[in-house]
Amino acid sequence: MSNPTIEIPFVHRQSAHCETGVMSNLLTHHGLEISEALVFGIGAGLFFGYLPFIRLNHLPLITYRAATGRIMTRTAKELGVRMVWQKFRSPRQGMDQLDRQLGVHIPMGCRTGAYWLTYFPKRYRFHFNMHNLVVYGRRNGDYLISDPVFPEPVTIPAANLMKARFAKGPLPPKGRMYRIDRISRDADLPQAITRGIRQACRTMLKSPGPFLGIKGMRYLASQIEKWPAKLGEHRASHYVGQVIRMQEEIGTGGGGFRFIYAAFLQESATILGNPRLEEATQRMTAIGDRWRDFALMGSRICKHRASENETYPAMAAIIRDCAAREEQLYRDLLEMIA
Amino acid sequence: MPMLPTNMQLQEQLKRILIQELQLMDIRPQDIQADEALFGDKMGLDSIDALEIIHQVKQYFGVEIRDMKEGRQALQTIGTLAQFIENQMVTADC
Repeated sequence: MSNPTIEIPFVHRQSAHCETGVMSNLLTHHGLEISEALVFGIGAGLFFGYLPFIRLNHLPLITYRAATGRIMTRTAKELGVRMVWQKFRSPRQGMDQLDRQLGVHIPMGCRTGAYWLTYFPKRYRFHFNMHNLVVYGRRNGDYLISDPVFPEPVTIPAANLMKARFAKGPLPPKGRMYRIDRISRDADLPQAITRGIRQACRTMLKSPGPFLGIKGMRYLASQIEKWPAKLGEHRASHYVGQVIRMQEEIGTGGGGFRFIYAAFLQESATILGNPRLEEATQRMTAIGDRWRDFALMGSRICKHRASENETYPAMAAIIRDCAAREEQLYRDLLEMIA
Repeated sequence: MPMLPTNMQLQEQLKRILIQELQLMDIRPQDIQADEALFGDKMGLDSIDALEIIHQVKQYFGVEIRDMKEGRQALQTIGTLAQFIENQMVTADC
């Protein structure tokens, strides 16, 4: 790799979540101001899945948002934005291509594992391969990084960025990188918002099988009740830890994503001139609070600080409450935007 | 009208709250430095503990951390957390 200094004038903004933050910042760089919340909503990012047959750190995968990359691709499609995606077998080729793009002053989004991102505090560095960041320059052997989960830009040695981009493990990033190629000036924002709401509601209400959407929540509730007897207390507490780490740590998780969606509904109420969406905002915020209740109870069980009312059945009851509230809200949202 | 606590008072309260609510048996308030990372090796806290901290801040001070951007900044040290609480209380008082 050659080593000239490059620093693209890229505006770094901190966000709640990496994928939506990166997309919002890249769009802004290209002259289209779309907030993180709007990216999340237009991209139909809200989701739920409990996938016990996929393992992350040997524990079942739980997701509270759409599959990685899906929010970006949907948002791009709805707004008429052309994105170019690449992946690489060879780390060398992946880094050389990154350098070529930086050389012509194009900031590049990258999918990475979190473990090799040395600017993360040690306790947050674990094997999770669905992180997103923007590389916007290079200086003295380090790359300049706009990682939206951090308040300021950071730097990373070239060798560590390469390891992060080509990390091994479940859902490996394979050097994936992406850029915005073209922005449409004729994007129909109200239509994009409406279509995003419709997609999210239908996905939550009508996904096939027992593991996804509202059904997935109820399935998780039924499983949580069984974990102590089925797995033993020690392993059951690890499973609970996984559920709430995915919820509150990895890209803000269950409570956080519900709060981001509430912010999206709030903005949408104004853009669409639809005051009923204000009511939906309040309901979604309350749902986010219930998910936080769930996470708090789970954290106490994990850390052996639980009171006698804080039990696996009590956790299951909260999820069932969330499922009932979300189910009714999505049905009502479909009517609100009809 | 009751006076708002000072930043130092908030720091001392927070130390006692963390020790009590997180059941940190081997740590005394004087062992915790204001600029020491909450989620570093010494205190042994992790992201799961962050949930409890957020809850206790709401319970004790009536201050909510809902926005994870502000949460990440506030939860760096006792000092940053005290400052966040103080700022929220001043804003609420105006």
